[in-house]
Amino acid sequence: MRKNSTLPMKIIFLGPAVFCYLVVFLYPTLRTAFMSFFKVDAITDALAKWSFTGLGNYASLFKSTLFMRSMQNIAGIWFYGGLLVFALGLLFAVILTSGVRYKAFFRAFIYLPNVISAVAMGTMWMQYVYSPRYGLLKNVFGFLKLEKLAAIQLTSPDYIFAALLVAYCFGMVGYFMLIFMAGIEKIPVDYYEVAVIEGASRWKQFVKITIPLMKNVLRTNIVLWTISTVGFFVWSMIFSPLNPEPGTVTPMVYMYQMIFGANMVVTERNVGIGAAVGVLLSLLVVVVFAAATKLIRDDDVEF
Amino acid sequence: MKRIFAGAALAVIGAALLLTGCSKKADSADTVKLVYWSMWNQTEPQAQAIEEGIRDFEKKNPTIKVEINWNGREIRKTLQPALDNNQTIDIWDEDLERVIKTWGSYSLKLDSYLDKTYPTTEGKAYKDAVMGSLIDLSRFYASDGAVYAIPYQPFVFAFMYNKEHFQKAGIASTPKTWDELIVAMGKLKAAGFVPMTMDDAYMDTLPGYYLARAKGYQWVEQLVNDNTNALWNDPAVLQMAKAFEAIAKAGYVSNTVAANKWPAGQQDVAAGTVTMYLNGTWLVNEIMGTTGPEFPWGTFAFPSVPNGVDDGTAANYGAQAFQVNKNSANPEAAFALIAHLTTGAWDKELAQRSYGVPVGGTTDWPVQLAEAKAIFNNLKICYPWAGGIQANTDKLPVIVESFTRLLGGTITADQFVATMKR
Repeated sequence: MRKNSTLPMKIIFLGPAVFCYLVVFLYPTLRTAFMSFFKVDAITDALAKWSFTGLGNYASLFKSTLFMRSMQNIAGIWFYGGLLVFALGLLFAVILTSGVRYKAFFRAFIYLPNVISAVAMGTMWMQYVYSPRYGLLKNVFGFLKLEKLAAIQLTSPDYIFAALLVAYCFGMVGYFMLIFMAGIEKIPVDYYEVAVIEGASRWKQFVKITIPLMKNVLRTNIVLWTISTVGFFVWSMIFSPLNPEPGTVTPMVYMYQMIFGANMVVTERNVGIGAAVGVLLSLLVVVVFAAATKLIRDDDVEF
Repeated sequence: MKRIFAGAALAVIGAALLLTGCSKKADSADTVKLVYWSMWNQTEPQAQAIEEGIRDFEKKNPTIKVEINWNGREIRKTLQPALDNNQTIDIWDEDLERVIKTWGSYSLKLDSYLDKTYPTTEGKAYKDAVMGSLIDLSRFYASDGAVYAIPYQPFVFAFMYNKEHFQKAGIASTPKTWDELIVAMGKLKAAGFVPMTMDDAYMDTLPGYYLARAKGYQWVEQLVNDNTNALWNDPAVLQMAKAFEAIAKAGYVSNTVAANKWPAGQQDVAAGTVTMYLNGTWLVNEIMGTTGPEFPWGTFAFPSVPNGVDDGTAANYGAQAFQVNKNSANPEAAFALIAHLTTGAWDKELAQRSYGVPVGGTTDWPVQLAEAKAIFNNLKICYPWAGGIQANTDKLPVIVESFTRLLGGTITADQFVATMKR
């Protein structure tokens, strides 16, 4: 009897959330997965116009040099960018939580690039910092008499990927630093005090106390980094706005081109391939999430 | 209980308001409302001329009201979903090829309207008041040869150059062959100018045009779509690569060409440091903010190449174009508006304000495009964009990447060909 009486309550309280979830998340997800097995010309085409291709869309993705290149690119961004961002983020987090003066100022300063729109930041890097004619880097290297470095054409095909990576990571460091800082600040000060009394060096404290107690945060950050890498789009579009370039193309850019068509010419569109890209990317995130959860286990330490 | 009453009262008031709205609409049934979705942003000169043209049309036709929705180039994404949802849109515009191939099935066949006369066509049928080559092009893109779009703002793709540089370098006539182009580049370099530059956005047009001149555009399309890569063994490919390798080695291109990100290269032309840039005639308007109207613009067709099949009579040309919705309730009024904008005073006005080509084609070309007129009059073959090299959007980025390295001088012609065959 009691069970029955709470049912209406459950429906009333859970209903709106479940309904929203079903409509806003589950339905589009299922529809996208379904769509990936069809050839669809336009995103608003009625179901009757779709033609079934089975795994054809996936097959053509793996045959496409541009798509494979885009996967390589996000792998590069994930690995090299991840190393750079996590190393710098962690370093700044440790420094800023060690009782340095003007902490709030530096924290805001390093986080600042996140406040500015990615489009503005990207354009600044692209058109100003890397410009081979009047660029910031060219001038700085020139001033330091490093002529060889000044002569490097940073936006040419040979360097564009590295240029993109550096520009992107520059903005991301602050974001991950904040999360790391929150993690470090949660660790009780007593541990460090004991370590200091025992004569442990700063490095030892970092390796033996900070890192082990931050596993959770690290795992969260890896998942967040993976999601942002998989969704890499804006920066790629800023670095090659009209047609995708092998050095900067990402799966999202490829997906965009498949759904809305190429910029310059009229080409065949296939929203189904776009959907297939979406499905592959989702699977990728799930795999990384599962791997991160499995590899980085909690040690059941409570503090 | 009180709340229910209040709710009911609100509903009644709402319904009453809706009804009055409807009745008001019924009252003004004699005025025709047209909805125009524009590819321009309201701040662009084309938009300003079109908007004034529309207001003038409304003044001359007091029963017609036009609602404008400025989409900008986002219209490529916004229009189709709106049409699929039966939103009322009578007229829209975008690139001629794009509107016909992408939105052709939503548009009205316009052939019967072309034979009629309009107040601005000086007693002639519409089709005789505009450049015939443009109407032909409109038919060419349609699968059934009918007219589904009315072109305006035509352009042609050619070498845009600084005439003053040519004069100072002692170049008497514009190059018609590749050899003449190389000689001209040598003279320009000797006179202290950087002969040519390019931006990433248009990089593919250089190899595309060269190959199309050498073997025809259909061959270029076959080349990029050849999954076996065997066609890249054709001597024409190596000839093209060698031609650009030679230009790079001789220092005839800007030393930043490999790193140029649009619009860096065209701004070099605007600043007067570089002489030539392969582009559409829209370039004049696009960089007017930097050049000012006095810039000594010249135009010449992409030269013919050794052992080639095409010459200056073939080029990528096109236009923006208006379409009328096949479900439009007022197609007559819609076409009358299009005729008003694309002939007579407003055609001229649009060309003058945007430094573009008038649809009428005969008179009133902006002085900056005087030399482009000769190219237009010679046109016989319409190339696809970049001579067909974009036919395979998957292969294109790889071609562009390698060609950029070739033009930047970091790889040789043989390396370029080898990369393409991989």
